[in-house]
Amino acid sequence: MDYDVIVIGGGHAGIEACLACARTGFRTLLVTQSLDAIGRLSCNPAVGGLAKGNLVREVDALGGQMGLLIDATMIQFRMLNKSRGPAVQCPRAQADKFSYSRLAKETLEKQENLNLFMDTVTDLLTDEEKKTVLGVKTQRGHVISSKAVVLTTGTFMNGRIFIGEYDHSAGRLGEEAALGLGDRLRELGFNVGRLKTGTPARIRFSSLDTDRMERQDGDEEIVPFSFTHDSIERRQIPCWITYTNEKTHKIILDNIGRSPLYGGKIVGRGPRYCPSIEDKVMRFRDRDRHQVFVEPEGTGTEEMYLNGLSSSLPEEVQADFIHSIRGLENAVIMRPGYAVEYDYLDPLQLKNSLESKVLENLFVAGQTNGTSGYEEAACQGLMAGINACLKLMGRSPLVLDRTEAYIGVLIDDLVTKGTKEPYRMFTSRAEYRLNLRHDNADERLTQKGYDAGLATGERLEKLREKARGVEELQELLRHRGYESKNALEALKRPEVNLDLMAQSIEEIKNFTPSVRLETELKVKYEGYIKRQDKQVERFKNLEKIVIPADFDWDRVDGISTESREKFKTVRPESLGQASRISGVRASDITVLLAYLRH
Amino acid sequence: MEIYSTDDIIYALATPWGTGALSVIRVSGQGCIDMLSSVFKSRKKLTSVSSGTAVYGSLVNGKDIIDNCIATVWKDGHGYTGEDAVELSCHGGLQTVEAVLEFLPTLGMRQASRGEFSLRAFLHGKMDLTRAEAVRELIDSRSESARATALGRLEGNLEKQIRAVRDDILNVMGTVEVQLDYAEDETEPDIEFPVQTVRTAVESLNAIRATYRTGKLYGQGARIVLAGAVNAGKSSLFNRMLREERSIVSSREGTTRDFIEAQCVIDGIPVRLYDTAGLRDSSDDIEEEGIRRSRLLFEQADVILWLADPQNPVRDSAIENDPRCICVATKSDVSDKDIEGFLSFSSVTGKGYDELCRAISAKLREGLPPVPEGTLVIQSARQKECLDRACQALEETLEHVEEGLSLDIVSIDIREALDALGELTGEVTTDDILENIFSNFCVGK
Repeated sequence: MDYDVIVIGGGHAGIEACLACARTGFRTLLVTQSLDAIGRLSCNPAVGGLAKGNLVREVDALGGQMGLLIDATMIQFRMLNKSRGPAVQCPRAQADKFSYSRLAKETLEKQENLNLFMDTVTDLLTDEEKKTVLGVKTQRGHVISSKAVVLTTGTFMNGRIFIGEYDHSAGRLGEEAALGLGDRLRELGFNVGRLKTGTPARIRFSSLDTDRMERQDGDEEIVPFSFTHDSIERRQIPCWITYTNEKTHKIILDNIGRSPLYGGKIVGRGPRYCPSIEDKVMRFRDRDRHQVFVEPEGTGTEEMYLNGLSSSLPEEVQADFIHSIRGLENAVIMRPGYAVEYDYLDPLQLKNSLESKVLENLFVAGQTNGTSGYEEAACQGLMAGINACLKLMGRSPLVLDRTEAYIGVLIDDLVTKGTKEPYRMFTSRAEYRLNLRHDNADERLTQKGYDAGLATGERLEKLREKARGVEELQELLRHRGYESKNALEALKRPEVNLDLMAQSIEEIKNFTPSVRLETELKVKYEGYIKRQDKQVERFKNLEKIVIPADFDWDRVDGISTESREKFKTVRPESLGQASRISGVRASDITVLLAYLRH
Repeated sequence: MEIYSTDDIIYALATPWGTGALSVIRVSGQGCIDMLSSVFKSRKKLTSVSSGTAVYGSLVNGKDIIDNCIATVWKDGHGYTGEDAVELSCHGGLQTVEAVLEFLPTLGMRQASRGEFSLRAFLHGKMDLTRAEAVRELIDSRSESARATALGRLEGNLEKQIRAVRDDILNVMGTVEVQLDYAEDETEPDIEFPVQTVRTAVESLNAIRATYRTGKLYGQGARIVLAGAVNAGKSSLFNRMLREERSIVSSREGTTRDFIEAQCVIDGIPVRLYDTAGLRDSSDDIEEEGIRRSRLLFEQADVILWLADPQNPVRDSAIENDPRCICVATKSDVSDKDIEGFLSFSSVTGKGYDELCRAISAKLREGLPPVPEGTLVIQSARQKECLDRACQALEETLEHVEEGLSLDIVSIDIREALDALGELTGEVTTDDILENIFSNFCVGK
């Protein structure tokens, strides 16, 4: 056996997967098409955002890398939705793309037990029954054996990019697609589908008129993504905001027939939540303008990202509509926007450990499972890596449920409902989001990461320290008064916060920002959190009713035919999961409950 | 939760217990056609006909014919319950029905428990929960008015109205969630909370909730207790009412000095009528017990008819002043005497009877909101409870918006309202909410 684990693909999923395996002590190989493209931010130059920021902090709490990478390379930080409530506030950072990618590669190179190799995987080795994966075959003819394989191909599997009438086989502009593997997976029994995503043009900073745009600066205080440090100092640079106008929309509408999306060349479904500008203009005809963020791609470059203008219209049309926008009249386009269509594997064929139901010891993560986003990819890569290792150790998988982490919500959604469009995380997907805050990800997950052999002892010690701090601060407030009230009680009022209190109760300043935030939220939302805890308990009761892997669905009398087919496709692992399959009737769940009970 | 077994054969009378032209007895369960075929003499065997066929024949016990009836056979899961089933249309009449019902268990069948047919239909996916409930109510209801509203449910009236409210609330949820799923800089800056939509929803739900008492009155009926001194004329009135209202279902007698109970319908409202022991102090232990039970009945009564003989009036100011009380002066045929504030009635001539019924009906409807013709009415406590929860959650939503609480908290209240309404109309999933966001807001960088 050449390796314990082979990870295919060096994107955000691949990075977490190979680090998790190597750090747990398994001999790991990362095979990537380009060693120069590790950890590339192919689309927007930002990490985090609503719900996504929670994912990054969860990855960090479990012992993953993404939080550390962005902390070290951010060029702007914002805490989003502070006014809309703590349960949904979330960190977002602009990244220096080039530093991010370079640091990712450096991190992998320094990692013990990890080898990096540049080649394209074209086939999987399997046993004779084609039931278990045994390694990979590459384009240049290498045959490499391993006990487990993690597949993270991103947009590269049969990737094809589109710009107006032009189309070309590629995973990113200028990077060849990975051909062959998708077809082999089809032969092995994987359901392979097509999805679509897109990216806007990059323009040159010195050609912009920033006086004609709004400036958007970062927050003064930076809250690190990683729980390993309390604060970071980074130089921040601004983003710029401008808007499309009637003229922009007219140019787009006049040329809509030349869009590969509207012309019918692209069959894959694109994301509704991140529509191209042509989609926005077509679908929201009454809107007279759409916002455009002009974001730096890094510090050592003039390239600027036109967030909100993703497009696959012909290049000259892109140029026309860009030039119709205030501040961008003379913009020099450096790279055009384009759409990319790629193969993804139906996630309904996955267990909730992210192991394939088709091929044992094959784990799949990231865009290959139909998701979209760096953060969504990273968290799956991490879980796939952890579970590959646990499998090799003969231990049961680490499965986070919907009450424990956004990661749990994401994976449960994927393996239970599948997806027809690129899946992005939203706070509203999480039923228990009051508990799934970014600030308490360590409390929820670090112990689990430690038990899986990934999160270090220092992380655990840091968590305990924080927990002690939260206790001590509450104790302090309990014995102090604030505005003629008990301070702990006073903190529950909407207009009071710890920063205000610290003006009269000096000792509060001795506590770290993370302790202060956590305490404040704990106290303020106590009633709601308790209420949610009750729902969590009810949820867990259904999860506890396990459905055996070899359960014979044909034997259950009284289930409707549609539901039975759905059960057989998803093969839910618990009654709770069964109840979340879309279109399954409540009455069928009642029957199933009755059946499992007796 | 009551657990039923579902693998045996059950039977039950499907039509009301009483005298009618026909009585239908329903039998359901795997193997029931075989079982009945052996005791049903007809030209075509029940086992040989196709599903949905009605066969004329005789139900026989050995050589004795129990009844000549029509058996409708349901096979291959086409029956009401989704199991093999037979419906026996027998001659009406209690004796015949009783004879059939006594005969069936000797074949190895079991009398169905309440709601068991619907449960089986539900378990076999033949019926969803709201329909199951409506069918149950249909079966339970004993009067024409109640039947009409129950039918309204089956046609999905209730669901339609509640669904409209649910859709409005889903839109409210959309405006909140879009702000929780997208950052300040990604959405329009000032999305105002749609207070008015929530208020209107509360009003609509309140209007539906208000029909519950009406629905309950027509569906579950009312208790009327006859009270008064010994010889005040209670039994005469009792008998008169039973004679006038032909839809008597049953009557039974308790211990001699206890009370007599009967059912009838007054002005479309099913009524349980109680004739109580006379009220007076007594040293007789048995009678004392009777009086104690009468008092208990009083407490549960919806209307108390307090009777007094004008020639020898026994009065009780506590009862007469009870808001539920209607005072009746009896024996108006014997003398011209009236009692002030009392309705006058003669059980011999029937004079005053219609006025009395109108008074009872008016009293029962007192305080009920007017329900326009054709409006749906809710009867089930479960539905009422869901609507209550939704209303309460929406009122909390408004309070919390008023107090300026953050949207992540407000969203919990709205979610609760949606969940409560979802129990009636089908679950609101996160996909529904996201769908709502994407179709109403242009979002995303």
